[in-house]
Amino acid sequence: MGRYVVRRTLQAIPLLIGISGFGFLLLQMTPGGPLAVAESSLVTSADMQRLRDKYGLDDPLYVQYLNWAADLARGDWGTSFNTGRPVIEMIWDRIPTTLTLTGLAFLITLLISVPVGILAATKQYSIFDYLSTSIAFLGISVPSFWLGLILLYVFTFTLGWLPSIGLSDPRQDHEGMAALWDRVRHLIMPVTVLALASTASLTRYLRAAILDVVAQDYVRTARAKGLSERIVIGVHALRNSAIPIVTVLALELPDLFIGAVITESIFAIPGMGRLFVESANLRDYPVLMGILMIASVLVIISNLVADVVYGAIDPRISYP
Amino acid sequence: MSATLNHRGADLVAPDPGAPDGSAAEVFAAMKAPPRSLWSDAWRQFRRHELAVGGLMVLSLVGLSVAIGPEIIGYDPEQIDFAAKNLSPTLAHPMGTDALGRDQLIRVLVGGRTSLAVALASVGIAITVGVAVGAIAGYSGGVVDNLLMRVVDLFYSMPGLFVVILLLALVGPGFWTIVLAIGVLRWMGTARLVRASFLSLKEMEFVEAARAIGASGPRIVVRHILPNALSPIIVAATLGIAGAILTESALSFLGLGFQPPQATWGRMLEEAQSVVINQGHWWRGFFPGLMIFLTVLSVNYVGDGLRDAVDPRRLRR
Repeated sequence: MGRYVVRRTLQAIPLLIGISGFGFLLLQMTPGGPLAVAESSLVTSADMQRLRDKYGLDDPLYVQYLNWAADLARGDWGTSFNTGRPVIEMIWDRIPTTLTLTGLAFLITLLISVPVGILAATKQYSIFDYLSTSIAFLGISVPSFWLGLILLYVFTFTLGWLPSIGLSDPRQDHEGMAALWDRVRHLIMPVTVLALASTASLTRYLRAAILDVVAQDYVRTARAKGLSERIVIGVHALRNSAIPIVTVLALELPDLFIGAVITESIFAIPGMGRLFVESANLRDYPVLMGILMIASVLVIISNLVADVVYGAIDPRISYP
Repeated sequence: MSATLNHRGADLVAPDPGAPDGSAAEVFAAMKAPPRSLWSDAWRQFRRHELAVGGLMVLSLVGLSVAIGPEIIGYDPEQIDFAAKNLSPTLAHPMGTDALGRDQLIRVLVGGRTSLAVALASVGIAITVGVAVGAIAGYSGGVVDNLLMRVVDLFYSMPGLFVVILLLALVGPGFWTIVLAIGVLRWMGTARLVRASFLSLKEMEFVEAARAIGASGPRIVVRHILPNALSPIIVAATLGIAGAILTESALSFLGLGFQPPQATWGRMLEEAQSVVINQGHWWRGFFPGLMIFLTVLSVNYVGDGLRDAVDPRRLRR
């Protein structure tokens, strides 16, 4: 087990090299090179050459990549073309916001989809099952930006109950409980929108996974030996469903993180996703690469956690 | 659609993997009943899934109105008319007008062409790449398989939307850039599916028979194995269209996809954002989004129905 974790972690290194190399190559493929944005009539060709020297753009590609990767490893993620601030600082400023958003959405996903999935599967073909599967189907099909716009129209424009954008009201200087309430009011719609898609897909997945378990021979055996339905489901079926549940939960995290890109843009929330989109529109490559690397690490870690946890709670799986 | 499926079905009758497995009644029934191809069976099964049939009808309607609607209505999607700006839906403008007095219905229909074209083209790319990689990996096995699957792992470790956005920021938006960016990140699932089917199918007797009579490797792959691995590919392609529509509209919504004046459903939503929130012109955002929602929902139902229809493990009720 321990060896497996070490091996999988080591396997992540070539993956990261692959992804960063891919990103680096893309940068070089930009029409006009990475400095194309800096070019204008105000910049003399001597200045451009100075910039090229500064960023080492005339070096061979592999030297550039190694330099860039070495800087990255030392924590020097470059400076933003746009603000001139170190990339790592800009990202660091935005991380808490995105973490709050995705964390809350994850919690809500967990609290809704697990019980609903279990109930729908154990009461298959009941009205509850029918309703929850139908709603989940709508949930995976609805575009989040459209839903966000509808919510904004209803609750902000028409009813005026909730604030439209940002994370806090800049016109008021709240303190203590009032500040907290202000924050909660700003988060209601974004968290709802972000949580909906993952709740819907997770509910569908869990229902199917539990139905699989309920059809197993040992569940039939438990019923045949006269155990009450409560024990059959609660002990025999659910304990075994824990395996797929934990796995998909871990795999859901990167999806939430990706979903936050859209949610933050709808509600103008200053998180990492919004920073990414803004940087993309400004072609601020150092920032883009930095966030891409963080997101990739997150995906790799989630995959790793899912696999490791899978092995840890399922004694049937042994790792070579 | 069904006609082409049935035609392809002709090749499929011989090596039917879902052959009756034994009971006397089943064998007897099979002897009496006229031969049925896999695809006519699938169609029979598909028709029982009411929501899937409904989805297929909605999709046909959307496809048809997007294809010929603009010609029938006949006015220009870029026609500016300040006398008719910001109208809420009326009979003359069933989806209202925008701040320049452009008719929303016609823009939704014309925009749908682009949205659907992007989705179909990117899924086409994703499926082609996925089938090729999966077939080569599954059929060759060994080092080639191992290498290709590591590439699949690499692409799976990429945070999808981030990479697409980076690609578009670097290369700049354009029809084929957007199609490629979406397609490049959606082929891995198909590759794994196809590889898995190939791994088991290549050990089957009919493949051995084909090899024994001297069929070449490529011929065995294309004529004998691939047709038998087709049904999961079709399901994956269908469901992939839903994802591609959502991705394209999300990109356009973020301002990174198609640029004005090109109308797509996502772009129209992007343009509508501030007027819906600040002026309450709900129709600007409601209708383009509704089209995305309806199309994606229908595609998902059709995909669901197809999965039930072509999965031989499902009980034929």
